[in-house]
Amino acid sequence: MPVDANPVEARAIDWLIRQRDPDFDDWEGFADWLAENGEHAAVYDALASLDRDLDVLPRGSGAVRIAPAFPPGSPVSRRPSRRAWFGGAMAAALVAVIGVSTLNPFSNGTRIETAAGEHRTVALADGSRIEINGGSVVEIDPDRPRFARLESGEAMFHVVHRDKDPFVVETGDARIVDLGTAFNVVRRARQTSVAVSEGIVLYNPDRDKVRLVAGQAIDAGDDDRRPPAVRSVDLTSIGGWRSGLLVYNDAPLALVAEDLKRTAGIDVRIAPAAASLSFRGALIIDPDRNRTVADLAALSGTMAKRQDNGWILTR
Amino acid sequence: MALYDGSITGTFLKRRGGAARRDMAFQSNQFMTRSIDRADPAQGIEGVLLSNRDRIIRFLQVRGAGESAEDLFQDLWMRLTERATGPIADPLSYAMRAANNLMLDRYRSARQREIRDKAWGETSDGHEPSAEASLISRQQLEQVQAAIAATGERPAHIFRRFRVDGASQRDIAQEMGLSLSTIEADLRKVYAALAALRRQFDAG
Repeated sequence: MPVDANPVEARAIDWLIRQRDPDFDDWEGFADWLAENGEHAAVYDALASLDRDLDVLPRGSGAVRIAPAFPPGSPVSRRPSRRAWFGGAMAAALVAVIGVSTLNPFSNGTRIETAAGEHRTVALADGSRIEINGGSVVEIDPDRPRFARLESGEAMFHVVHRDKDPFVVETGDARIVDLGTAFNVVRRARQTSVAVSEGIVLYNPDRDKVRLVAGQAIDAGDDDRRPPAVRSVDLTSIGGWRSGLLVYNDAPLALVAEDLKRTAGIDVRIAPAAASLSFRGALIIDPDRNRTVADLAALSGTMAKRQDNGWILTR
Repeated sequence: MALYDGSITGTFLKRRGGAARRDMAFQSNQFMTRSIDRADPAQGIEGVLLSNRDRIIRFLQVRGAGESAEDLFQDLWMRLTERATGPIADPLSYAMRAANNLMLDRYRSARQREIRDKAWGETSDGHEPSAEASLISRQQLEQVQAAIAATGERPAHIFRRFRVDGASQRDIAQEMGLSLSTIEADLRKVYAALAALRRQFDAG
């Protein structure tokens, strides 16, 4: 779904693109456009300034690996603004294994339940971290420092590597044995999604034998008979809920609504007529909910109306 | 260009009578050549700045300088004449581009101050933006990259070739076997996505 810039922005963009040509010489034409309306210079400046910030984008593949946002044990805020640029060395040769679970009865567990829109980071004794999205339930056990269970919802795991002592994450009937990596797990109704941002994951090595490397993801239904298909995901979008950015590539609107509820506590219902629409694009969770929903509506070609405490998207 | 040629010389003479000698000089190719021969590399760009003074000031004005345009012309003069430059194919374009960059730098410095003041108000992490600090956070840069990726594989690739690798639209069209208009449309699409993202940055 293309995003339309407003006409002034569209013109400013044209100038920006043309001016990147070293032979550009229509400065008079540019001046005429600026003179048309006093607002034009401000729009141009804002875009040209963002454009200049792109100078730091790395050349080559264009894919940037997300370094761990914080060193283990450091205080964590929800919206950090100035992190060290790509700081932190990447852990090398990380391998994780997802296996079929054995039931682990909880004796002494701590249950962490987040309300819709509430994000929480749990630092574990070994330096590993679990970033828990809203509307989720995670269980940890002080007696088992290398274990966590995602009962429902979504969490991003950053696991510190220990050769002889793998970290185990359980969800649904799957077991994720992690040897030091970072990955996001979503547990929806009868479905588990895993996206890997660092390291390597083996999904159900005894049964499905699916290998996931950084930048790959799977969606596995509890009733699936076949191994889940591996798809590519943009590294920068994995666990995007943590920074308030949700990226979709043709996702059903209902799934987007579910994520909005969990991540930001925003209630969005999808009218039956709009249920077949899919969404493609990047959605930013704005402090102003109206704006987030308006963006979703605009980007998905729907209309948003208030309904009860939330919104309904119609065609 | 022709639009301004008549008025420039006239107002120039009125405003800066003292510089009339120089102005005359640049109406004579012979003199200009001699100036350059006298191994004064700044003379070339000085001449262009002088003979296009009104045009450049008008540009600075509409570019947002308002009443400071005259002062900024002096800043531009300093910038361009202090810097040793090699031969310039189109010195006027060069000067106009420099004027444009000057204005963008001013905008960015002002924004930098705003952001810093705001950060201090929030008594944040004690980090201070460095001189050439980016105006967007790493997190925002990640969002930018995600937004670029979300426009689709082809536009994202074209954008990277164009903006990150610095390839020309023509070269990209050639290497991808696509028309120039397709390249341009994809670039517009990515920039439009970035413009939308920027509005959200502002709102946040």
